[in-house]
Amino acid sequence: MTGVLEVRPLEPSAPPPLTRRRVLRRVLRNPLAMVGLVVVAVAVLAAILAPLVAPFPYDGTDFSVPAPAPPSPEHWFGTDELGRDQFSRVLFGLRASILVGALSVALSIAVGVPLGLLAGFYGWLDPITSRLTDLLLAFPYLILAVGLAVILGPSLFTAIIALAVGAQIPGMIRVTRSETLRLRGLDYVGAAFANGARDRTVLGRHILPNAVNAIMVQATLYVPAAIIGEAVLSFLGLGVRPPTPSLGVMLASAQPFYRAGPWMAVFPGVVIVVLTLALNLLGDGLRDALDPKESGRPV
Amino acid sequence: MTRSRARGAGRLLAAATTALALVLTGCGSIDEPQQPQQQSGSDVDSRAVKSGGTLRFALDADPDKLDPTVARTLVGRNVFAAICEKLYDVNDKLEVVPQLASGMPEVSQDGKTVTIKLRTGLKFADGTTMDAAAVKTSLDRHRTLEGSQRKSELASVADVTVAGQDTVTINLKEPFAPLAAILADRAGMIMSPAALSSGKDFGTAPVCVGPFKFASRIAQDRIEVVKDPNYYDAAKVKLDKLVFLAIPDDNTRFNNLRSGDIEVEYDVSVVNVEEAKGVDTMRLIMNDSLGYQGITINLGNVSGVGKDPGTLAAPYAGPLAAEAKVRRALALSIDREALNRSVFRGVYAPACGPISAAAQLSSDAAQACPKHDPAEAKKLLGEAGVTVPFKLSMVIPNSPDNRRIGEAIKSMAAEGGFDIQLEPTEFASALDLTDAGKFQSFQVGWSGRVDPDGNLAPFVTTRGSQNIAGYSNPEVDAWIKEARATQDVDKRRELYGKVVGKLQEDLPLIYLWRQKNILGVSNKVGQVKMYGDGIARFDTAGFVD
Amino acid sequence: MGRYLLRRLVESIITLFLATVVVFLGIRALPGDPARTLAGEESDPEAVAEINAAYGFDQPLPVQYVRYLGKAFTGDLGTSPRTGLSVTDAIMHALPVTLELAALAMLVAILIGLSAGVIAAVRRRGPAEWGANSVALLGLSVPNFWLAQMGVLLFAIYFGVLPASGYVPFLDDPVENLRRMIMPAIVLGTGLAALIMRQTRSSMLEALTADYVRTARAKGLLRRQVIVGHALRNSLIVVTTVVGLELGALISGAVVTESIFVLPGFGRLTLDAVFTRDYPMIQGVVLFTATAYIVINLLVDLLYSVIDPRIRVGGAVL
Repeated sequence: MTGVLEVRPLEPSAPPPLTRRRVLRRVLRNPLAMVGLVVVAVAVLAAILAPLVAPFPYDGTDFSVPAPAPPSPEHWFGTDELGRDQFSRVLFGLRASILVGALSVALSIAVGVPLGLLAGFYGWLDPITSRLTDLLLAFPYLILAVGLAVILGPSLFTAIIALAVGAQIPGMIRVTRSETLRLRGLDYVGAAFANGARDRTVLGRHILPNAVNAIMVQATLYVPAAIIGEAVLSFLGLGVRPPTPSLGVMLASAQPFYRAGPWMAVFPGVVIVVLTLALNLLGDGLRDALDPKESGRPV
Repeated sequence: MTRSRARGAGRLLAAATTALALVLTGCGSIDEPQQPQQQSGSDVDSRAVKSGGTLRFALDADPDKLDPTVARTLVGRNVFAAICEKLYDVNDKLEVVPQLASGMPEVSQDGKTVTIKLRTGLKFADGTTMDAAAVKTSLDRHRTLEGSQRKSELASVADVTVAGQDTVTINLKEPFAPLAAILADRAGMIMSPAALSSGKDFGTAPVCVGPFKFASRIAQDRIEVVKDPNYYDAAKVKLDKLVFLAIPDDNTRFNNLRSGDIEVEYDVSVVNVEEAKGVDTMRLIMNDSLGYQGITINLGNVSGVGKDPGTLAAPYAGPLAAEAKVRRALALSIDREALNRSVFRGVYAPACGPISAAAQLSSDAAQACPKHDPAEAKKLLGEAGVTVPFKLSMVIPNSPDNRRIGEAIKSMAAEGGFDIQLEPTEFASALDLTDAGKFQSFQVGWSGRVDPDGNLAPFVTTRGSQNIAGYSNPEVDAWIKEARATQDVDKRRELYGKVVGKLQEDLPLIYLWRQKNILGVSNKVGQVKMYGDGIARFDTAGFVD
Repeated sequence: MGRYLLRRLVESIITLFLATVVVFLGIRALPGDPARTLAGEESDPEAVAEINAAYGFDQPLPVQYVRYLGKAFTGDLGTSPRTGLSVTDAIMHALPVTLELAALAMLVAILIGLSAGVIAAVRRRGPAEWGANSVALLGLSVPNFWLAQMGVLLFAIYFGVLPASGYVPFLDDPVENLRRMIMPAIVLGTGLAALIMRQTRSSMLEALTADYVRTARAKGLLRRQVIVGHALRNSLIVVTTVVGLELGALISGAVVTESIFVLPGFGRLTLDAVFTRDYPMIQGVVLFTATAYIVINLLVDLLYSVIDPRIRVGGAVL
């Protein structure tokens, strides 16, 4: 369950402001990132349209025929051990997995960014938030995740909270905090203060907008980590609530059938790998595009 | 671990012929798939085995304390089978036979005095003598030690007296027919008094009479036992050492058996059973469990397990608890055969009652089984006047296996007009919730006992120690009490048949399937035994030449 | 330096104290208690109460906590109510396994991550970069239980070249030990490789454009020397960073790897302790990992000041 690692903002000098359009152009110029973008777009679309596209309901069992059955013209991805159509389940599973990835990151931004901003801005708050992040990082992640799942009961909601609190919020706080610290020391922020700007104005108008890049980069790297994290939670029996599928739940429940029904593991497995790989490529592309040094070619 | 516990809740007993008998007499014909290679209760492999060697046996969980008085897990009983013999044991027909005792117990006319004669000249692993005094010390410890798990099993015992070097007399408060069967489990294990009084925690270094003796233990990893030269029948023991490994994941355990990293696998999963048929380096030893699996419904557990039942309040109250018709509709809507075929790959067997057909006290009445009938279920729901689909919540353990079971039950019940909300819950929390009565229904089972009393009394008698349903029926209480008091086997059989009939009317539990005990054994080893109690025995096992 | 150290030390102690309080209260907030959970399928309410009393779990929380802390100071982390075994012993048995696994996984991660990172930085915008990127990211994109299971099927069952699982202490049989550790180390290491790749690549890029490297090149040093010297030095920082931040993942996150390869390490100890509500064991494990995390991060901070690349590398090259 990796993914706690924060991206260390590249150190020196203030970034020459990059316009959004330039960033976009850079991403578009990066073929790997483009591939990632296309794959992610297709996956999100498929997830949104799942109820329309799926040929069968995700919980449509069929006990009258032998199951699991291999892929066939009727069931493109085969069926699982209860005779359910794997293609439909993968589509709905994609939905749950993408939701977990997106919402856990949204939650970590909602909690981590304000805390990081305040900690970086107000020195007296720093020790408190620092202890909090230290505590979260020092605490064995799994105990935290399992504990939450035990109290709240395994569900999509629990997985989102467990992944956000255990794996993402501390990193988000740290990144935002160090960006804030860096930006606070820059001349233009000092100038804003000198002009009598209020704290809130400085934070909202000068610091946050410039910290967004680092936060975005961190977020794009957390989404795939959360999707994999959900799969691992499912492996431990802490995934979404049945009968809803997620890619992780499908992969975990296919486990005993590695030989009896390999298609049960192959299709959700391939989808999860392709999706997270695409997200990672996109994330790295975005990160490069936001990095001022990337423009220069090496000596 | 969760999975193994939950699954562990259910196993013990009997040979395949009886499984077939169950099918024929009980639940109508099912499409029995081809039986795997081996069905005998013990390993019929007759190849000679040689002396020496270390056998690695993978269990599905790390056993708890190795102290017979406080031990509670099923896996732990496998370790005890190697190091702690009991006054009685069961044989491959599930009959109680003497082990440390020299004969069956003599019961007085009034049924309240039981005399047990012991084998003579036996020594504990520490070299001290096993005699009547040691038996008294052990039984008294089982009965009185703080935290003893044997207290309720031995609750009928008034006192134990030494009636000579090799004779103990047990005085009962009331006649108790299941006593011999109880003494064939942990309550009958005799511990070395010297070790007990050494001041060390007995569970960290147990000393009993057994083919092997405890050597070492590393938590979550392994328990090692070695051949005991003090054992009375040491000549038959071939292995030098037996290593118990804890490997909770089913696939991992099976893969290790296939790759030769272990010699024997406990609790082979049903999916792997299919696969094992195609592997010629191993064989399976398989027999019916003595336990059951099903759905327990909260009828009146208002103030906690073991307390007086009452009337449920929201959100647990409702027609499911109040009306037997609704419960009968639920029972009728679940297709046990399809469940077994799909979820259990046809390896287990449908079950409609708490008593295994392999048990000595089973009867036709105990195996009676209403047929799957979703149309009738819908009709019953209509008669009960509830809105269809009828909503109910069901707590299930949170492992992928239990998830699969829950999903299958949910979609079957939907045909009968039910909408089941599955509540996957981590096992420890599930136990906590259901003990407290905070549930509507719970998918759970029981590992089973040799005497049907152990499958019934705690669960369905009023204020029973595991009666989480809060079920209370004076007739059932009376019959179970009567069955305890008589040694007449036919009478007891009849009474248990009546109990099962009443349970199928009241339905505090809907019994659904019976697991099998399945041991995977590498062909490199022979003479491994597993009887209907589901416990592996290695006293004569060894490596083949 | 001295004042800085003192401040860090005080902070560390506060964090540690908070961790013990949080875990102590947290596990007691979970439904289920050790005795009842242990009882599992066989439960006797009276016996459950007696066991809880015997271990003092029925005492008021502050009393339990003070007692626990007092004993912990003397190195006694209590006894597991489940097995009757000492928690300190259990941790000491699990520690070498986990440390070795973590070290080997880190080695794998460095080998993959470093080379991929260097290639990606040096051969920019070409198939080589894409290939290196994808290989490193693949590790991050595959659920490790899947990778582990595939490894066992392939290497232990079909080819039969490696054992499926199990642990042999290094001192008993070094070769066998490594044979059993190689698959788990790869499974655990591939996830970290991508993190190291990213760090290596960005620091390489930074370095390759830095003034002193231009200077070095101007002075006639070979590009290869610059790259190698720089990459190796940088790797040290990258690794310390990753170790510092990913220690939690390496210890408790290894649980999946450990359970599939049946390694008696920390992860399994932790997970089972939570599921069985083994309070003393959970407390012991958290105390231990929290301490390790804090100590390692302290060391990382100190190392930064010792191996700051700008000073050292610059000095060495010029």
